[in-house]
Amino acid sequence: MNKEQIKQIKRFENIIHAVDALFIVIYIGLFVYLFSQIIVPHTPPETFTNYEYTIFGMDIDTLVLNTWMSYLAIFIIITVPLTIISFKKTKYREFYEYNHYVATNYFVNAMVSLLVLNPASFVLKIMASHRILLQSEKYGFKEALKRIGHGIKNLFKKKERVVVEEDNELKRAIQKQTIVQFTRMFFSYLFLSIIALMIFIPFYWMILTALKTYYESNLTLSPRFFISLSEMQWMNFKYVLEEVDFSQYIKNTLFVGIISTTGTIFTTVLAAFAFARLEFKGRDTLFSVLLMTMMIPGELYILTNFLTVSQAGFGWIGGETGTNSYFLAMIIPFMTSVFYIFFLRQTFKQIPETLYKAAKVDGSSDFKYLTRVMIPIAGPTIFTITILSVIGSWNAFIWPRLITSVGDVNEGRGFWLISAALRDADFYTSGTNPRVMFNMQIAASAIVTIPLIVVFLLLRKYIMSGVGRSGTKG
Amino acid sequence: MKNTLLNLVWSVRNVFQRLKEKLHLNFNLPPWVKALIYLSPALLLLSLFTFYPIVNAFRLVIYTGYQLVRDVDGVLRESITGYTLIGNFVKVLSADNFILPSSHTTSSILLNTLAIVFISVPISILLSLFVAATLNSIKPLKSFFQTIYFLPYITNTLAIGLVFAYMFKSGDTGLVNQFFRIFGIEPVSWIERGATYWRAMAVLIAFGVWDGMAFKIMVFMSGMQGIDQQYYQAAAIDATPKRRVFTRITVPMISPMIFYIVVTSVIGAFKTYSSVVAIFGDTATPDGANYNLKTIVFHIYDYIYSGEDISLAAAASIILFAIILALTLVQMYIGKKRVHY
Repeated sequence: MNKEQIKQIKRFENIIHAVDALFIVIYIGLFVYLFSQIIVPHTPPETFTNYEYTIFGMDIDTLVLNTWMSYLAIFIIITVPLTIISFKKTKYREFYEYNHYVATNYFVNAMVSLLVLNPASFVLKIMASHRILLQSEKYGFKEALKRIGHGIKNLFKKKERVVVEEDNELKRAIQKQTIVQFTRMFFSYLFLSIIALMIFIPFYWMILTALKTYYESNLTLSPRFFISLSEMQWMNFKYVLEEVDFSQYIKNTLFVGIISTTGTIFTTVLAAFAFARLEFKGRDTLFSVLLMTMMIPGELYILTNFLTVSQAGFGWIGGETGTNSYFLAMIIPFMTSVFYIFFLRQTFKQIPETLYKAAKVDGSSDFKYLTRVMIPIAGPTIFTITILSVIGSWNAFIWPRLITSVGDVNEGRGFWLISAALRDADFYTSGTNPRVMFNMQIAASAIVTIPLIVVFLLLRKYIMSGVGRSGTKG
Repeated sequence: MKNTLLNLVWSVRNVFQRLKEKLHLNFNLPPWVKALIYLSPALLLLSLFTFYPIVNAFRLVIYTGYQLVRDVDGVLRESITGYTLIGNFVKVLSADNFILPSSHTTSSILLNTLAIVFISVPISILLSLFVAATLNSIKPLKSFFQTIYFLPYITNTLAIGLVFAYMFKSGDTGLVNQFFRIFGIEPVSWIERGATYWRAMAVLIAFGVWDGMAFKIMVFMSGMQGIDQQYYQAAAIDATPKRRVFTRITVPMISPMIFYIVVTSVIGAFKTYSSVVAIFGDTATPDGANYNLKTIVFHIYDYIYSGEDISLAAAASIILFAIILALTLVQMYIGKKRVHY
């Protein structure tokens, strides 16, 4: 195989990824544009209203808009993972790994591109498939198709049985073993699939319900398990974001999450460095005292911390309307974490002591050593801590809810984080006998859940390595 | 421009260096001062929000009638009516509904918590153990299943709890009732008006199992991957049945993990709070029911939210702490012995 041509193929693959990325941007852009065009009623939408839209000079109604958005959402869900997987694969593929499997892979990918209305990528992938075949197998696309035809023909041809005299008993034993093995495999996969289904159904039901109308989610007997694309009410998400103020709560959560994570990283890196490298009296005692606090339940702290941040202490909450600083009360107590100090110290300890000595000989200060040597080496761990901390703030419920529940409720409402909002926000119908609009409540749940799932799928390696050492949730 | 700036910085630095040399100043700080500088941000926060609360909880628990009263000059002052050593603990333990169900109800906080501990924890541990063992025996699709099983861990308890509440809606509108109808079981009320205690508890337990499996599966998986393959090869040569391989090799070999999981899940079950709030709301009671599903932690938050008697909240949280401490000590004791084969 020619290296020069492989280089060309690599270049070609890069073009394909660029085109795919461009289309993803187009899909997302279109989706966001259509989402911004959705008309949201200012009263709780108890009945389905068919609005008229003019988009790109076309007059369409809500049903058509829903269909378009559903298609775009499906395209995004299909394309993004495929592109990422393909990008990762090509990045590490050596020249000798190009064979007919890669070509087949591109062919299948090309078909998918055709399905998601991406003709450019379709043509490019077919070309790539052809080129790789030419390179590795020395035949082109036509020949490959012919071979597939032959293969299918052979499949239907009756095979001539080769009769071999065999020990009947041995044959039976082997047969029995195969059957046992097969059944075992079958039941293993069946069991795993059933459990996986049980894990997955709540997520599916969440997304489905989030896209249903009020009538379907609350009043219909036997809600359907599938709905057509035109019935997907993307308006629900916009209603939750705008009318139930979830955009505000998400902003609050992100603000609190980012600031407290930054603070956590700052304090834990410094402390972990001191515990891992600096020699001082009572280091191990202090560290074991810190570790001991890890088994004390959070409820023991919350009580006093609540007094500390309220009027009896710093006076951050519970004062007159307008004088409260809820964010301080939410952020400051969570600016450090014993577990992360412990986690980072372990990583710092693994960095050879000789590096520290060498840095000392070169006359670098401790701080310089920390920032120039230790932090880059411990980068993955620090990144893991960052993700876990952000996820922790995203899921924080008890403390933020307690903080915003004191004093003026209407003021506290503006500082809700998403979890508290999920429980307490106003998802009710109007009228004298308000009922919870389940489709809206579940849509809010989906807004909270989906970003986490996306982050998890992207950064699975880091999250799982961190969780493996962390112990239980919460 | 850049050079001038750099020169300026260097000359300023030089001036300081000369000054230092002239004054014979030694900036090599003693190690403990240096350590203190690095530790100070973390220690400051920890002492304010971790160490002080622990001490304070033990201080509050000996007061009776603790209250914060505003002075004439507008300053909050603590006021107490007296001291007691175990009075607050007795009050918490003998409170209506804590250990014994009160007259008009059929459940108590301790019974609820124990129900979760003794039903939810074993189910989820056994299930995760089987899943991990099965998952360890297959090759294709392994990481796919692993990813799916891990999803509950990173989700927001509130969000998915609300979905569970919706799935267990009464009548034909709920997904679960709809599912049971396939088998000819009439729809019942799970969490709304007319739900019996065990039905409501079943929803809570189902959620606990669903939510808790992810972490357990992960720990068991990593434990099983650490087992030396030699044991399995020896068993294969002896044609040991799979079930015996599981009970005689796999389970004993990962018994430290199992034990760790048992202790942490029992602690976790004692701390059940968010899921109750998500499914049953702040009352922890289905409409019109004569019982509630409050747990010990729920009880502590009730005290904190009501804000009436802070000392009782302190007493309740110290009781919880004692339970957890006892469990942790047991774990450490048995973990040290490591009697696993």
